Amino acid sequence: MASPLLGRLLARSARHTEGQQRPPAPTPRDPGTVTSRRGVRRLRCTATVLCLAFGASALAGCGGRQSIVAPHSKQTSVIAELWWWMLGAATIVFLGTVGLLGVAFLRRRTSGLPVFGENERFTSGLVIMFGIVIPIVVLLVLFGASDIYAIRYSQAPAARSTKLTVDIVGRQWWWEVSYPGTQAVTANEVHIPTGTRVQVVATTGDVIHSLWVPQLARKIDMIPGYENRILFDTPTAGRYLGQCSEFCGLEHARMRLTVVAEPPSAFRTWLANMAKPAAIPARSRAAEQLFMSRGCGGCHELRGTAAAGRVGPDLTHLASRSTLAAVTIPNTPRKLAEWIQDPQAIKPGNHMPDLGLSSSEAREIASFLEELR
Amino acid sequence: MSPGPAATPGSAGAAPRGEMPPRTGIADTGLRAAKLATERRAVPNGVWGMALFLCAETMLFAGLIASYFYLDFRAPRWPPAGAPLPEVRGPAILTAVLVATTVPIVFASRRARAGSRDGTIAMLAIATLVQAGYVAYQLHALVGELHTTPPQSSAYASSLIALLALHHAHVLLGVLLNLGMIFWLFAKGLTGYRLTGVRAIALYWYVVNTIAVAVLLTTISPSL
Amino acid sequence: MNTVAAPAARRNLDRLGEVWQERRGLLGWLTTTDHKRIGLMYFFTTLAFFAAGGTEALLIRTQLIGPEQHLLTPAAYDEIFTMHGITMIFLFVIPMTTGAFGNYLLPLMIGARDMAFPRMNAVSFWIFLGSGIFVYIALATGQAPNAGWFDYVPLASKQYDPGLNIDFYGYGLIFNGISSTAAAINIIVTIFKLRAPGMSLSRMPLFCFAFLAAAFSLVFALPSLTLAALFLELDRQLGFHFYDVAFGGDPLLWQNLFWIFGHPEVYIIILPAFGIATSIIPTFVHREMVLFPLVALAELLVAFLGFGVWVHHMFATGLATLVTVYFAAASLIIVIPSAIQIFAWITTILVGTPDFKTPLLWIIGFIVFFVIGGLSGITVAAIPFDQQVNASYYIVAHFHFVIFGGAVFPILGGMYYWFPKVTGRMYHERIGQLSFWLSFVGTMVTFFPMHFVGIDGMPRRVFTYTASAGWTALNLLESIGSYVLAAGLLLVIVNLLVSLRTGRPAGRDPWHGATLEWETTSPPPAYNYAVIPTVSSAYPMWDAGDRERDEARLVRGEGLLARGHETPATTVQDGTLDEVLAMPAHSVWPPLVGLLLFVCFVMLLLAHFVIAAAVGGALAATVLAWHSSEPHSEPAPALGESPVKDGAA
Repeated sequence: MASPLLGRLLARSARHTEGQQRPPAPTPRDPGTVTSRRGVRRLRCTATVLCLAFGASALAGCGGRQSIVAPHSKQTSVIAELWWWMLGAATIVFLGTVGLLGVAFLRRRTSGLPVFGENERFTSGLVIMFGIVIPIVVLLVLFGASDIYAIRYSQAPAARSTKLTVDIVGRQWWWEVSYPGTQAVTANEVHIPTGTRVQVVATTGDVIHSLWVPQLARKIDMIPGYENRILFDTPTAGRYLGQCSEFCGLEHARMRLTVVAEPPSAFRTWLANMAKPAAIPARSRAAEQLFMSRGCGGCHELRGTAAAGRVGPDLTHLASRSTLAAVTIPNTPRKLAEWIQDPQAIKPGNHMPDLGLSSSEAREIASFLEELR
Repeated sequence: MSPGPAATPGSAGAAPRGEMPPRTGIADTGLRAAKLATERRAVPNGVWGMALFLCAETMLFAGLIASYFYLDFRAPRWPPAGAPLPEVRGPAILTAVLVATTVPIVFASRRARAGSRDGTIAMLAIATLVQAGYVAYQLHALVGELHTTPPQSSAYASSLIALLALHHAHVLLGVLLNLGMIFWLFAKGLTGYRLTGVRAIALYWYVVNTIAVAVLLTTISPSL
Repeated sequence: MNTVAAPAARRNLDRLGEVWQERRGLLGWLTTTDHKRIGLMYFFTTLAFFAAGGTEALLIRTQLIGPEQHLLTPAAYDEIFTMHGITMIFLFVIPMTTGAFGNYLLPLMIGARDMAFPRMNAVSFWIFLGSGIFVYIALATGQAPNAGWFDYVPLASKQYDPGLNIDFYGYGLIFNGISSTAAAINIIVTIFKLRAPGMSLSRMPLFCFAFLAAAFSLVFALPSLTLAALFLELDRQLGFHFYDVAFGGDPLLWQNLFWIFGHPEVYIIILPAFGIATSIIPTFVHREMVLFPLVALAELLVAFLGFGVWVHHMFATGLATLVTVYFAAASLIIVIPSAIQIFAWITTILVGTPDFKTPLLWIIGFIVFFVIGGLSGITVAAIPFDQQVNASYYIVAHFHFVIFGGAVFPILGGMYYWFPKVTGRMYHERIGQLSFWLSFVGTMVTFFPMHFVGIDGMPRRVFTYTASAGWTALNLLESIGSYVLAAGLLLVIVNLLVSLRTGRPAGRDPWHGATLEWETTSPPPAYNYAVIPTVSSAYPMWDAGDRERDEARLVRGEGLLARGHETPATTVQDGTLDEVLAMPAHSVWPPLVGLLLFVCFVMLLLAHFVIAAAVGGALAATVLAWHSSEPHSEPAPALGESPVKDGAA
């Protein structure tokens, strides 16, 4: 039993000293390997599929309403530009790597590097150059551009460098918005004046959330016990979409908000309106009674009335908002009535209970609320 | 790097002909165990294993102590209003008593290396007696602490009680290790295997007693 | 070789076979302490968990195949994605590398007959199995952990998650951590002390360096997780306030403790994969690794530096700029040792004459994916950029490329590479290559678009998205990719299963590998090596002279160590013979300890603390009894003395 083994051992190449070992010559190639014609065809097929996937991905990822490469502020422009440079550098490195592997494939029957052959100093030099020297240079440049330069735009605004403050409190699964120094309170929709440095103070009322309006600013976590600050400052009027970006429970996926940037005069008008108490027309007193008697006021505030609950969103100016349930459904009378009647059907798990309202009751309350501009 | 005996053809790592290489795990007398232990050059596997386990436990306490100070630095007042300042003298004396048990442990290790089963048992017993007394007293004190500084009252109390409880648990574990070793020494004598065990247990105590000092300094830090 | 010597060799082998006889049947497997059997048990168990985690992934991708799908309710989705993360990390990748590959191969690679602590090895497996069952009981009873695999508080606190879900998580991780710590200690002591005489540290295979680095990381990192989970359970079950702001606690304490473990964890995941890659490359390119010492050093450095970067998971939490900049710098520094390794591998492949068989293909795929994942990792060291893409699908893309591409691909390559050694049969090469290409394309199509859908603003951990968000096309592509990937992975399993029956016999060394495991039979006998191998270089199988010497020694009965379950122990650095250890054989205590620990954790979960303490007492008694059977060897001729004569027993 030992003899055949010894025979095989003796058939091997002679023993080398340490550092210059070579194994025996490779066995004849099996026709099923990647180097056969079928294998090369398979390679080409794969390459095509992948290029298509690459291309599709790259193209599809541009310009959506929550895209970080559709910036509308200095801060996000700097970050977007940083991204493009990094993508370019990364593509070069990646193609270089694939290229080297391609060369390895093409030269698979020849040992040694192209041109330089087996020169050990050169092979070591290659590793040192591409594994240490070039990375250090590239990383230093990246560090400087991002963590020294760009960070000046993304970090919290310096104290007293902003003209307006907005308090946003994250709650499961909506956003409470208020403007310190005024009586204005609203939900899920933030208005800011264009061309103004606005300080956003981000806190939470329950678990960790994260405020992310990609076109305007980087994200900031809302952590119990912490008051975090970021800057909103955009020259462009428009409606910007944000979304909660830290898993916060069942309806994390449906916790979005709208940031409306408008000219300063329009903003002042809006803010003044928000600060006013609820403007309830006389004809809606009955509906208001229904609202109160069904307990809605226990969770929702209507400033200027007996409804003073602060568990759910402030409804004083509900009709001025374009969406409901943190940008889950549009703000129309029909949708609002649906929501009031069966909130769990639209956003299962949210903290608004089923109050057992009839559809006519729900419609009555909905049309009442739709008058509160 | 010297290649050692492997370089000599035909004798890859062999001891000189006719001489038995060191072996462990054979039921032999304490003296034979001692002889094997002195011939061995490297640290025995069991001691390595205990050392690595102690690295993990040290990291555990490092984390505990770091968490204590993290919460301390974040708090406006530490301890918070209503929590009494920790005592210094009593805990310090107790810790000194525990650290002092290092002495009989060292002697136990030496007796074991000398091959003396009875000496090892005696030294371990002395250490165990004091350590068991320490644990009993400390657990009694902890129960009292649970009333004056209930962990449910603040993060301060939570981290204090957790630190103390985990430390005492480690001392208790050490007492159990001692008792187990004493039991097997009585039942089966001092073998090379158990000699390694005694050394491992000794290492355990050196580290636990050192950590005891760190725990003491941490828990009394507000009073310093 | 003269035929007179052959019967002597046969007699010596028979004697070894007798001494190392494995107990038969189920009881034999239950009480085994043999590293190969334990490795196989780990292998099949982790594969089962891989299938579970993969099913969870397919459920996620199917739920996200289009907007507003209703396959999973939000509650179910939250449990599924959390279990996916927990399963893949704690129940698949770590036990597969350290438990299956590490256990099976390390003693073989270093010329030893078992791990340093065979019974502790067994108990590691039983504890791992117990922890996996423990966590899956949660899923089976509809109360699986549901706050994500990193389980941030206060969402995971009793107030917001009152059921048992998170308690399964907290206790499950502590339970699982005991197994991993024990396994890591075993790996370190085995590598340090049990190498064959002559195998100094510098002659140790790179596989061993990688596993040594991973094991040290495990020992130092796991306690942080254990502590975090302990604090969590104290808060939840006993009303403590570590994480409770109202009482002076801090949710960021959880994040810090978790990520102090969590970041080294990713290096623990990837380092064994590096070890597998550095085993496969030299074999298939027929050349030793370029700059071997630098690669070994880089592996150790990655593990060490990995402890200093954890805050980069917290760049969006509002920390002071200076703190974040420091950790970003540290995160960039750690790129260097990884880059060194990547270029060393690529250079070795360039300089050698690569034979693109299936195992090497998986490693090529690994290199491609690890470069992509590494590059996206570098981009998020740019703090402002991370503050845009953190917790979005960009990060999901990043970590899947480095974990799936970076760890799972080498695992699959390693499965093909060592299949002949473990089973004695060759796998079917063509199907192997097909399984690779399917998996490669599937991985790319699944995860590459995730970079862009994240750039486009899609947060992670969302159970659905709207049609108007514009993410539909990419999600569809990703889901299709996941089915292709699943097909590829299924084909791997099918190929190996079929080859088990129909593969041609492999012989000892079908690949002309460099490391010692290729010297012994396929599969190896219970005693691994008839004679403890002679080692005088880092590529022992390419030293024909040493292997001839081993043959001669077998005939002479030298280095047989057949007096019991014996294996040599050496000094740590030089590898000079220091003592001969007698290893324990079958033991009933490990599975008993595993069972008792399982019961103990169930009692803790249910807050029956007194019963748990009683079970703890039973555990102490069992451990005491464990030490009643001391490793025992029979008196026999010493190493180097005259061999067994003709006619002798």
